[in-house]
Amino acid sequence: MNCSVGCPNRNSALETAHTTVNQTITGALDSCARTFYFPVMATTATPEVRPGIHRDEETDSSTDLEPGYRVICWNDPVNLMDYVTHVFQVVFGWQRQKAEVHMMQVHNQGKSVLTRESMEKAEFYVHQLQKYSLHATMERD
Amino acid sequence: MKLIRTKRDKLVFAISLPEKRLLFEVLKLYPLISATHHRLSKTARSAKHDENQRLLEESLAAQREENRKNVRAMLDEPGRFQAAASGFQLTLSGPEIEWLLQVLNDIRVGSWIALGSPDPEQGKKTTFNEKTVPHFRMMELAGTFQMVFLDALSGR
Repeated sequence: MNCSVGCPNRNSALETAHTTVNQTITGALDSCARTFYFPVMATTATPEVRPGIHRDEETDSSTDLEPGYRVICWNDPVNLMDYVTHVFQVVFGWQRQKAEVHMMQVHNQGKSVLTRESMEKAEFYVHQLQKYSLHATMERD
Repeated sequence: MKLIRTKRDKLVFAISLPEKRLLFEVLKLYPLISATHHRLSKTARSAKHDENQRLLEESLAAQREENRKNVRAMLDEPGRFQAAASGFQLTLSGPEIEWLLQVLNDIRVGSWIALGSPDPEQGKKTTFNEKTVPHFRMMELAGTFQMVFLDALSGR
């Protein structure tokens, strides 16, 4: 990024800098598996470099950011009913009555869809439930 | 073991010496479930999913290590169990009870897995023999302590 305006290396310097920064940021966000938009810097001296939007080809923002993931709790005969109710209350902040409804669904029907979320949020909830050793997964709609 | 009073944001339990020994015996088993036991999804199959699965396992492993340190610190803390007339008084905060519940359920589920994941409603009964009885005992003990803490939290 040290090239001055008019320098013949400016375009490639900008592209290199853009790629490096973008890779760094997308790498840091990789665990969140989200799409990251990073606009190329506009420059008046080199109009052939048009502002644009870089899209990470590895991700699909339209699905990752939409609530297209079901967080499901599956029945494990070992978990105590009161314990499951308690965990739902803690993880989702539900009132006891709502938590009990979902707990009974798990108990009677073998599973309960607890919430629909974006990929990132669904991963978060699954992790929270698994911290309590509940059998939870996330599945796409 | 039972809740005898709440003190500000803490709960005070009366616990006898035999109960204390049993609680220590159970907690020393932690962790029983491996970090690779849990799956992020039953259906997803992709490189991205594999990476997310790996991150989940790392995160659960870190959580278990944190809980393991908490257990160790609790068992080693001299003032944690105060001598009382009929045994001891154990004082715990709400967050401490939360990680204790996680620890106890890990031991309960881990013991159940070691028993072969019995499910009487599906006709998969527990087989009792010299090998399985210790797992069954730990599963039931962990559940008993869980119920004491859950009752205390719900004010029962």
